[in-house]
Amino acid sequence: MRLPNRVLSAGLVGVLTLTTLVAADITAAAATATFTPTADTYVADNAPTSNFGTAGAVGVDASEVNRTFLKFTVSGVSGTVTSAKLRLHTDTVAGSESDSGGTWKLMSNTGWSETGVTWNNQPAIDGATLGSIGAVAVNTWYEIDVTSQITGNGTFSIGGTSTSTNGADFDSRETGATAPQLVVSTDVQSGDPVWIGAGDIADSGSQDTNTANLVSGIAGTVWTTGDNVYPNGTASEFNTYYNPTWGAFKNRTRPVPGNHDYNTSGYYGYYGYFGAAAGTAGQGYYSYDLGNWHIVALNSEISTTASSAQATWLTSDLAGTTKPCIAAYWHKPRFTSGSTHGNNTAIGPLVQILYNNHADVVVTGHNHQYERFNLLNPSGAVDTTGGIRHFVVGTGGAGLYPFGTIQPGSQVRNNNSFGALKFTLHANSYDWNFLPAAGSSFTDSGTTNCH
Amino acid sequence: MKNRILILALSTLLLGGIAVGYVITRPGGALSGTADPSEVALRGEGRVLALFNGRLGTARRDGGDQKISAIRCDRSYAAAGTIGCLRPSEENWGQYQLVVLNGQFQETGKPLDVPGLANRLRVSNSGRMVSWTVFVSGEDYTSDVMSTRTGILDTKSGEAIPSLEVFAATINGMPHKAVDDNYWGITFAGDDNRFYVTMFAGGTRYLMEGDLAARTVRNLKSNVECPSLAPDQRRIAFKEAIDGNPKKGWRLSVLELATMKVTHLAETRSVDDQPAWLDNGTVAYNVQRSDGINETYGVPADGSGHPVKLVEGGNSPAPYGL
Repeated sequence: MRLPNRVLSAGLVGVLTLTTLVAADITAAAATATFTPTADTYVADNAPTSNFGTAGAVGVDASEVNRTFLKFTVSGVSGTVTSAKLRLHTDTVAGSESDSGGTWKLMSNTGWSETGVTWNNQPAIDGATLGSIGAVAVNTWYEIDVTSQITGNGTFSIGGTSTSTNGADFDSRETGATAPQLVVSTDVQSGDPVWIGAGDIADSGSQDTNTANLVSGIAGTVWTTGDNVYPNGTASEFNTYYNPTWGAFKNRTRPVPGNHDYNTSGYYGYYGYFGAAAGTAGQGYYSYDLGNWHIVALNSEISTTASSAQATWLTSDLAGTTKPCIAAYWHKPRFTSGSTHGNNTAIGPLVQILYNNHADVVVTGHNHQYERFNLLNPSGAVDTTGGIRHFVVGTGGAGLYPFGTIQPGSQVRNNNSFGALKFTLHANSYDWNFLPAAGSSFTDSGTTNCH
Repeated sequence: MKNRILILALSTLLLGGIAVGYVITRPGGALSGTADPSEVALRGEGRVLALFNGRLGTARRDGGDQKISAIRCDRSYAAAGTIGCLRPSEENWGQYQLVVLNGQFQETGKPLDVPGLANRLRVSNSGRMVSWTVFVSGEDYTSDVMSTRTGILDTKSGEAIPSLEVFAATINGMPHKAVDDNYWGITFAGDDNRFYVTMFAGGTRYLMEGDLAARTVRNLKSNVECPSLAPDQRRIAFKEAIDGNPKKGWRLSVLELATMKVTHLAETRSVDDQPAWLDNGTVAYNVQRSDGINETYGVPADGSGHPVKLVEGGNSPAPYGL
């Protein structure tokens, strides 16, 4: 029982910190925040009714048994967590070293109090294993990669145990500079709008649940590229398949319809479910602004000829915007390497209008796969000066499709991952980031300036 | 090594002065030097006809010495100097023509319109019978709304049968009334009359044996798709739906006709292809990577060994020029 004997000395040299320390380190494309515990303590089996909440150290040991409890509140994080690390610093005192730094797990109980926990009333260490720390020396930082478990804002309880009878002792939050840390990095500079989504989403399968869970954790405006629900776009299908998954963020979703949404006469299921967020019922095209961006939602399921009402509206809409960056989205892709559905040449007149107005991004679906093209002119030739970058993001949940002949200008393809494509809309550029849903692994990212 | 313009692989067989078009050669596919016997056997002698991102070409069996023409096909096969090619329309996506070429890649006869999405294509061993399958609705064999059409062209007579659905089918000896039947994946026997094909009817996938002259088909076995008859005429390579459920994927297998015994081949990835026999010991097939790049693999036909990548970037393989 070494640890309690040193509580006093450690407590004396420590700096008492009562508030959460948040250090934001913002770089051009990423943000990192360091969180210290809002509570930390340990329990000892040989002092079953004692509380050590204000001690300057915590520890893990198998004999006498010491267990450590840490609580972090992650807040203010926006965007996707690209890295999260639990960092612990060993005491400077001889004897804090060990052949094991313990095993650290998440806990379901986040309601415990730093000054209330004892051996006898300790919360269960019952969650996912974050990792283990091997042998530790005195006065040294150790870290565990917890990216897979710390995915956004929230309160996290973490418990530490050890099977080594030679216990390890770490500085507690009361020490200040060497307090435990949760270092959370995100891929986004706070402030710029996030625009995320996918197409070809909800059917009787379970993959749309995985993509919905992914999108749920990311703040921002959600787009869809159609085929929101299968097979016929009825009100019943929207309630049965779409609403329990992607319906969780319906209040920030701006959809477009696909051919399956349009399989029911009158399309009442689609327009009835989304209401005003889908534009005028029966038209389905509309626009909105996000930051420095003008966003145009188009409808590939109605006439898209140069003389169509939609083309006239698009010309007028684009003439009316002063935003420096323009994105557009619809269902059936103008360019695709998918073998199931080919290039939708019928939408060519709208692509020409977008190109004439210096649009930057086009996002579609229909082929159930991910594909990123280079900057293309309306004929599909690479045009790095005035071209539009086209994406196909049919990865929302419906079964994935094979590829056929790979089209000129196609840069990246994948058909084994479900997920969503996230855009960060900067003042004069955009980042794209394909995020895989649970059970998928493919990623793709990049940045391009607006015209 | 830069790309070069070369005369076709079979230039030594060409008559002087025949223009065969633009052909690209690229290096690669050198044997890795391993002494694994199955690998050596798989890589063997001879060349393979294949498609390279939709362009007809040939390569050595080890994938080297690729010669790629400008001819567009989405499915191809070759035997005895006859090449079949399902050529996509440049204007109307989803519209195809069946084009027959000779061994010098020159078109013979008149293109035949075959509306639908290219799926399977075979040429009989004599080079006379060309058979094809297209999807006319739906996109895959697991779709509820899938519909296929399978036809035969006799290149000798010029007669075409646009759809096998006009043939009289029997199942277990009983006449079968066709309602929503689908046929796919023909393979012809050496007499250019007997053939094998998959028929999907009433929720079951049957291996059917057909008689072209009699216009009949009868069932032999269930859960046998995309048959491919071996050069020895005694075995059929095929894809077997795992647990009878295509949504679980397909296992590449070989059926011995005399005993109806099925052997699973060493390829454990799901193979959605009509396999091709490169010789009596080797079955070749396409595996598409998740980035859409196709690769032709070969595996021993007796269940032994392991798959070997034969032609990087190639699909729709057929033995060529043997």
